[in-house]
Amino acid sequence: MNHMFRGALLAAALAAAPLTAASAQVSDLKIIAPAAPGGGWDQTARALQQVLQSEKLVPNVQVLNVPGAGGTIGLAQFVNGNKGDPNVLLVGGYVMVGAIITNKSPVNLTQVTPIARLTGEYEAIAVPANSPLKSMADLVAALKADPQKVSWAGGSAGGTDHITAGLIAKAIGVDPTKVNYIAFSGGGESLASILGGKVTVGISSLSEFDAQAKAGKLRILAVSSPERLPEAKDIPTFKESGVDVEIQNWRSVSAAPGITPEQKKALSDIIAKAVESKAWKDMLAQKGWVNTYLAGPEFEAQLAKDIAATQTILKDVGLAN
Amino acid sequence: MSDQPSSSARSADRAGLFIALGLAVLALVVGWDAWRLASVNAHSAVGPAAFPTIIAAGLAILAVATAVEAIREGAIARPRDEAGPMVWVLAGLVGQIVLLPFLGFSIATGWLFAATARGFGRGPVWAHFLAGTVMCFIIYLIFAKGLQLSLPAGPLERLI
Amino acid sequence: MDTFAALGQGLFVALQPINLLFAFVGVMLGTAVGVLPGIGPALTVALLLPITFKLDPAGSLIMFAGIYYGGMYGGSTASILLNTPGESSSIVTALEGNKMARAGRGGPALATAAIGSFVAGTIATIGLALIAPTVVDIAISFGPEDYFALMVLAFTTVSAAFGSSVTRGLTSLFIGLSLGLIGIDLQSGQARLSFGVPDLLDGVEVTTLAVALFAIGETLSVCAAGSRAEEVIEPVKGSVFMNKEDWKRSWRPWLRGTVLGFPIGAMPAGGAEIPTFLSYALEKRLCKKQDEFGNGAIEGVAGPEAANNAAAAGVLVPLLTLGLPTSATAAIMLAGFQQYGLNPGPLLFTTNPDLVWGLIASLFIANGMLLILNLPLVGLWVRLLAIPRPWLYGGILVFATLGTLGANPSLVELGMLLVFGLLGYVLRRYDYPIAPVVVGLILGPLAEQQLRRALAISVGDPIVLFQSPIALTLYALSALALFGPLLFYLATGHRAPVGADED
Repeated sequence: MNHMFRGALLAAALAAAPLTAASAQVSDLKIIAPAAPGGGWDQTARALQQVLQSEKLVPNVQVLNVPGAGGTIGLAQFVNGNKGDPNVLLVGGYVMVGAIITNKSPVNLTQVTPIARLTGEYEAIAVPANSPLKSMADLVAALKADPQKVSWAGGSAGGTDHITAGLIAKAIGVDPTKVNYIAFSGGGESLASILGGKVTVGISSLSEFDAQAKAGKLRILAVSSPERLPEAKDIPTFKESGVDVEIQNWRSVSAAPGITPEQKKALSDIIAKAVESKAWKDMLAQKGWVNTYLAGPEFEAQLAKDIAATQTILKDVGLAN
Repeated sequence: MSDQPSSSARSADRAGLFIALGLAVLALVVGWDAWRLASVNAHSAVGPAAFPTIIAAGLAILAVATAVEAIREGAIARPRDEAGPMVWVLAGLVGQIVLLPFLGFSIATGWLFAATARGFGRGPVWAHFLAGTVMCFIIYLIFAKGLQLSLPAGPLERLI
Repeated sequence: MDTFAALGQGLFVALQPINLLFAFVGVMLGTAVGVLPGIGPALTVALLLPITFKLDPAGSLIMFAGIYYGGMYGGSTASILLNTPGESSSIVTALEGNKMARAGRGGPALATAAIGSFVAGTIATIGLALIAPTVVDIAISFGPEDYFALMVLAFTTVSAAFGSSVTRGLTSLFIGLSLGLIGIDLQSGQARLSFGVPDLLDGVEVTTLAVALFAIGETLSVCAAGSRAEEVIEPVKGSVFMNKEDWKRSWRPWLRGTVLGFPIGAMPAGGAEIPTFLSYALEKRLCKKQDEFGNGAIEGVAGPEAANNAAAAGVLVPLLTLGLPTSATAAIMLAGFQQYGLNPGPLLFTTNPDLVWGLIASLFIANGMLLILNLPLVGLWVRLLAIPRPWLYGGILVFATLGTLGANPSLVELGMLLVFGLLGYVLRRYDYPIAPVVVGLILGPLAEQQLRRALAISVGDPIVLFQSPIALTLYALSALALFGPLLFYLATGHRAPVGADED
């Protein structure tokens, strides 16, 4: 009975789906930010909301905050509550990839419909200006001599900063579980401990260190981008310093699971148009974000690669099994 | 523990004993969790289990101290609390949680208002429910529309 | 540019009539939103920030400063009148402030909070303008071992809020410490006491616990008391404003609170809560009318409120001099700066002096506006208490759940509100003090993280804890706080005055 009823509903939904897609225009959109107001994902969601409305791509956009557990609570709600809903998007990012693994989340990013990567930031390693470590090579030597003596300040355990530190250790043949990683709860706190010389090195996104480096208080040893960044030409990459690590802390949007290819295309087109708009570019400039837009199969391939690599390294540092 | 009437100076304070029991259970839970964490491979000098162990020990000592005090000091006469009004307020809070996902912020919180007012002896419930819902709908408009706060929407909120 | 000339220029801009209007609107909005329990200044600023986008930089900074101060003051108002602290740094205010309000002295309590905030905010802002670079050098030199020593000092002073029984005080504290364990451990990434519930992984939100214990617990115990409870709270007994004695008892706590709040607020991991705890403990120790403490002593409102506001200005020290956002509010302020393409950092004072001085001037103006706006309103605010109890408490629960839902629209969060509300009722019913629970939740995780950081950096060598002069000084102060009364007794043969019950 119940089954039949559900079957009928499903059939009705399937029959109705092409109709909505045929109208092509999405008139209402809900963007879920799996974080509290003010954070990076929330800002991304609200920036997208503003651009979609001002560019008249979607007339009515709402942002819904579902904070908690590295975004996995928002993700779980999205996967379970919005199946087949073509009028909802989820903002997410690389942090979620790690959180899903360490929190043993029952849902994961393969269960949603990836739309596009929007922005990204690269990780950098910095030392106080008076540190004896002058280059990435010095750091590698120090790590090889005694990894315990090198203390790293960064964000919470299992986050992007910790993952990067683990990848570096692994790449140079040092046991990643020996990395003496000190977690701080906020960017300001960890930066203060680096400036105060309380730790050997700091690891965080490049933008966190930028202003301090310009003032001569910090020295940035290397950055995790594939090649040198246009805005920081004099900072070498990990790769050219002989450490084969490349990592991007990206933010993305995904659509609900179980939507039709037409619906997916409609949403992808809207995002593609938004990303090309001047309003979005102005927004990025204002917020200091870097456009790393990637969509379609390329994004899906990159996502799969990131998930696999993260799984391995979290196992190596002892945070996953 | 004796069955003597609570007015007797010799009998223990029952509430104190219950609280001691609660603390002991809490100590066990925290201690069990610490024991579980201790088996996790920690790479730092002080692992995630150290503080829970100390706290569990502290709770256990406090449980004993509370029990001893309850027995030594004997029953304490406390004024009776009325269950009825509390049940109304709790029904308001539980009802809000139950109604929120289906009926949205205004109706669920309107119910909370009505039930609380009833708990404090002011009725009728339906009039307060109506007034509360209208008030909460206005609050919803201000916060959800004016300030973009994400509050749960229901049939009433979808009208706008 | 000369400091005073720069500040003068900033003040001149801020005093334009249109900018005064923006300050007024900012303070109004900030107070209105901040007064909701569970919504502290950080969320208030986050919610209202988009409104400022539409103004020019000067007007927007001024409105922003107004929202910030308004949000803080709104939290204190709710604490005092309704016993529902909206943020962790106004919890201590609720202890004495609400007792005063119930005794018909809500007017003086609100006034001393407003004037104390003004005095502390003004002094701290002057400090920000003049000695920020010096203060920040000291603040940065605090290592994890020094912070741990600061936490030890804070723990030893918590006993000031214990009330009559040490066993009961410690029980409350340990309940708070246990709640502080819940969630993912920052250092190891391991989930503790979460039982597989994803909503528990982020731990217990301080504001949720505070709102539940104070607002819901209070509502339950008042309604359960039924006819036994006092029939009507008389909003005003005596003068609605501070009398001569109130002034005499307030001005020293204001200054002492400022001295505690500003430097601790400037420390990257100091925060605004610890100075309020320390200030409360200090005032309790110094107060001549010991029996009033716990029953509505004005010093217990004046000191912590000043400390709280001075700390808020202190937070701007690392933000403006180094670009370090050390609190949630500062992080959101950073977002505010970015809308002008500014990235606060060590060079901000040299590259954008006009904006920095504009902000500092705005803080002065907003602070003054807050006072002008709120003092006349004190009489009106106090009338809130004249609302019949069924509606007053109904309204309190509506706003408590609104604040919680606004911060995190989750049913689990509401469930926690209910469970902790019941806990608050039980604690009240059996004479356990409430504040140490919240203090344990705040301090426990901080102390643990700092200790483990210190030991990780030293690779497990505990000697690191006792090597720094700062840490040793703080330990000496803790010892004094603990054994001071005993020494006093040994020296004079008299017992040191002991505090009265809290509840």
